Amino acid sequence: MSGRITQNMMNSQLLTNLNSNMNRMNNLQNQMSTSRKINKPSDDPVGLSYSMRYRSELSSNDQYAKNVDGAISWLDYSDTMLGQAGSVLQRIRELTVNAANGTNPQDALKAVQSEVDQLSGQLVDIGNSQFNGKYVFNGELTDKVPYSKTTPEASVTDSGQINFQVGVGTQIPINVTGNQVFGDPSDNVFGVLKNLSTALSTGDQTTVSSLLGKLDERMEQVNNVRSDVGAKTNRVELVQNRLSDISINLQSLQSKTEDADMAEVITNIKTQENVYEASLSAGSKLIQPSLIDFLR
Amino acid sequence: MRSTFSGLELAKRGLFAQQTALQTTGHNIANANTTGYSRQVVNLVASRPLEAVGMTSSALPGQIGQGVEFDHINRIREKFLDSQYYNENKNYGDWSTRQDTLEKLETIVNEPSDTSIRTVMENFWNSWQELSKSPEDLTARAVVKENALALTDAFNHVSGQLSDLNSDLTENIKVKATQIDTTLNQVVSLNKEIHRVEGLGNDANDLRDQRDVLVDNLSKMINVTVTDTDNGYNIKMGGTDLVTGTDLNATVDSAFLTNAASSGDLASGEVRGLIDSRDNIVADFQKQLDTMVKTLAEGDVKVTLPTGTVLRAGTTLNPGPTPTTLTADTAVTVKGVNGLHQLGYSLNGDVTSPGIPFFTLKDGATDFSAASITVNPQIVNNVENVASSLRTYTDTDGTNKVVKGNNGLALLMSGLSTTNFNFDPANTGTTVLNGGTVDEFFRAFVGEIGVQSQEAQRQASNQKLLVDQVDSRRQSVSGVSLDEEMANMIKYQHAYNAAARSMTTFDECLDKIINSMGVVGR
Repeated sequence: MSGRITQNMMNSQLLTNLNSNMNRMNNLQNQMSTSRKINKPSDDPVGLSYSMRYRSELSSNDQYAKNVDGAISWLDYSDTMLGQAGSVLQRIRELTVNAANGTNPQDALKAVQSEVDQLSGQLVDIGNSQFNGKYVFNGELTDKVPYSKTTPEASVTDSGQINFQVGVGTQIPINVTGNQVFGDPSDNVFGVLKNLSTALSTGDQTTVSSLLGKLDERMEQVNNVRSDVGAKTNRVELVQNRLSDISINLQSLQSKTEDADMAEVITNIKTQENVYEASLSAGSKLIQPSLIDFLR
Repeated sequence: MRSTFSGLELAKRGLFAQQTALQTTGHNIANANTTGYSRQVVNLVASRPLEAVGMTSSALPGQIGQGVEFDHINRIREKFLDSQYYNENKNYGDWSTRQDTLEKLETIVNEPSDTSIRTVMENFWNSWQELSKSPEDLTARAVVKENALALTDAFNHVSGQLSDLNSDLTENIKVKATQIDTTLNQVVSLNKEIHRVEGLGNDANDLRDQRDVLVDNLSKMINVTVTDTDNGYNIKMGGTDLVTGTDLNATVDSAFLTNAASSGDLASGEVRGLIDSRDNIVADFQKQLDTMVKTLAEGDVKVTLPTGTVLRAGTTLNPGPTPTTLTADTAVTVKGVNGLHQLGYSLNGDVTSPGIPFFTLKDGATDFSAASITVNPQIVNNVENVASSLRTYTDTDGTNKVVKGNNGLALLMSGLSTTNFNFDPANTGTTVLNGGTVDEFFRAFVGEIGVQSQEAQRQASNQKLLVDQVDSRRQSVSGVSLDEEMANMIKYQHAYNAAARSMTTFDECLDKIINSMGVVGR
C-alpha cells in the first residue's frame, strides 16, 4: 500500500481481517464440535468419496454380520436336531441288537416293536422340525411338511439349497435336506424302521439282524451330515471373525479420513483466538486520536 | 498609476477564495463516511495580473498581482481504478453466486452423514438381504416395502428441493433484472443532469459520485464497460449498448438477460452466475440424479440366474434361447430392479401371469426420474407381491406352485448393490460415470459437487480480496483523510485571517490618505 492512507481504509482493512479471522475460527470450531474434518463435500472432495465408501461398506458389513448370525443359529438348530436324530437312532440300534438276540420271546419283541414305533414317530417329528416356523429339512419348500406321519418312507424332500449372503459375492448354503440326512425315499431310515417294525411283529429275527447293517449305514449318514454341519458352522464362524476384523479396519479407515485431529484443532483454535484478539486490539488502536484531538 | 482601492479588492478576493476552500474542507469532512464520495479540492489560481493603469505604458517593472481566484472545484478520482474495480467486481459477483448455489446443493446431498440418500439406498439393499433370510415371511417384505418407499420418497424430496432451487434462481434473476433496469434509468437521468450542470461551466462533483456508485453496483451484477463522453457515461454489456449518454438503449428484463447470456454478451457478474447456476450446475445435478434413478429402475445390468430357476412362459432372456428351467447358472442382462423383479415369483402364488415391475411411474409421468419414481402401488397395497423366489414346483395335486422358501431373487436383488450398471447406454458422455455401481455413481457426482464448490469458494474469496484491494487503492486516492482535512482547515483559516488582516492594513492606509493627508500645519 502506497501513499495516502485514510481512516476509512484502515477501518475496512480491519473489518476484512476480522472477518477472515472469524471465518477460520468458525471453521475450526465446526471441526471441534463435530469432531470431524469433513463436514461437507467441499471440505475435502477426495476424502469425502473415501468416507462415503467406508460408510457404505460398513453398512453392508453390518448386514453380512446379521446374516452370519442368522446362519449360525440355523446351523446350530440343525446340529441339535441331528444330534437328537443320532440319539434316537442309537437307541433303536441298541433295541435292535437286543431283539436280534435269538432268545427273545415274542412278547419281548412286541415290546421292542412298540418302542421302535414310538422312536420312529419321534424321528419323523425330528424330520418335520421347524425353525422360526420353517421346516428345516425340506429344502426350499420350507412351508411344506416334508415327512408324512403315515408314509414317511415315501416322502421326497425338496433338494433346494438355501443360501445366505455373508460377503460380497459369497453365499453359503446353510440347510441340509431330509434326503441327505435320512436317505433317499427308496431306502430311507423310515423305510428301514418300517421293515424293522414288521420283522419284529412277525418275529423274523433274521431280517431284524440283517436290518442292523442298514441301520448302521443310516446312522453313519446322519453323523456324516452332522459333521458337515459342524464344518460349515466353523466356516461361518471364521467368516464372522473376518467380518468383525473388516468392520474394525473400516472404522479406523473412516476415522482417519473423517475425524479431526483434536490436538491439532485445539492448538489451531488457540492460535486463532490469539490472532483474533490481536486484531481486536489493533482495532482499538485504530480508534486513535486524530489531529482533531490536538487542535484546540 | 496605481489604483487606490485595488488593495481592498485583492484582500476581498483572498477572503472569498479561502472561505470557499474552508467550505470545501467542511464538505469533505461531512462526507468522510459517504459511500462513493471522492474528496474535493478547490483549485486556487492567482488572478490575472495587471499592468499599472495609465495613459502610456508605465516604466515600472513587472505586473502587479491581483490576488487569488478559484477556477474549479476538482473531484480527486482515478478513472483507471474504476474500470479495474468493475472488472474484479463482476467476477466476484459471478463466483459468489455460484458458491452460494453449490453450498445449497451440498446441504441437499447432506454428505457425509447417516441420513442421506446413500443411507436410504443401503437400507433398501440390506432389506433384500433380510428378505433373503426369510423369503416366506411377510414382515421381511413389509421392511422391503418401507425401505423402498423411503428410497423413492428421498428421491422425490431431493428432486423437489432441486426444482425449488431452480425457481428461486429464476426469481432472483428477475429481481436482479429489475435492479439493473432501475439503475440504468438512474444513470441516464444523472447523465442528463450532469450534462446540464456542466454545460454551465460548473463541476457536478457530487452527481458524478452518485453516478459512479450506481455503476459500481451495476458492475457486480453484470459485466460493464464504461466510457465517459461529453454526453455522460456510455455503458455497454459485452457488445450490447445499455446506455449512450442521455439515451437508454435497452429495457432489461430476465428474457433480455437470458438472451444476452446465450449470445455471450453477458459473460460475468451475479446474473451470469445465477443463470449458470440454474442452467448448468442445478440442471446437471438434477440430470445426474435422474440418470441414477432411471438406471436403477430399468438400466441394463448383468445378473447370473442360478441353476433351477424356473422361467415364466413368455419370458425372453437376453441373450439367447429361453428354456423353462435353467440347467446351469446363466448370465443374462436384465432391465434394472424392475426387469429383475419381473422374473421372480411372489407370495401371491401366481406363476402364470407376467411378473410386476417393482418401481412404477407416478400418474402422468412418461419416464423414470427422481421426481416420477414410486413403488408399484400393487406392492404398497399388498406386500405379498414382493417377489423373492425364482422357483416353482408341481404339487401333489398337480398344480404349479411357488417355492416360497427360495430366496434366489432376493439374493440377486441385494447383489445389484455391488453390480455394475450401464449409466450411459446412448454413449452421450454427459453422465459422471459410464458404468459402475449405483453407489459409485452417487459418490462420483457428490464428489463433483464438492470439487466445484471448493473451487467456487476459493475463487470467490480470491475475488473478494482483489475487489477489496482495488477499492482500497481507490480509497487511497479519493477517500477523505481527516488529518489532511484538519491540516487544510488550519491552512485555510490562517490564510483567511491573514487576508482579513491585509484588508485592515489597506483600510488603515486609506484612512491615512483620506483623513490625515493635506492637513499640514493645521
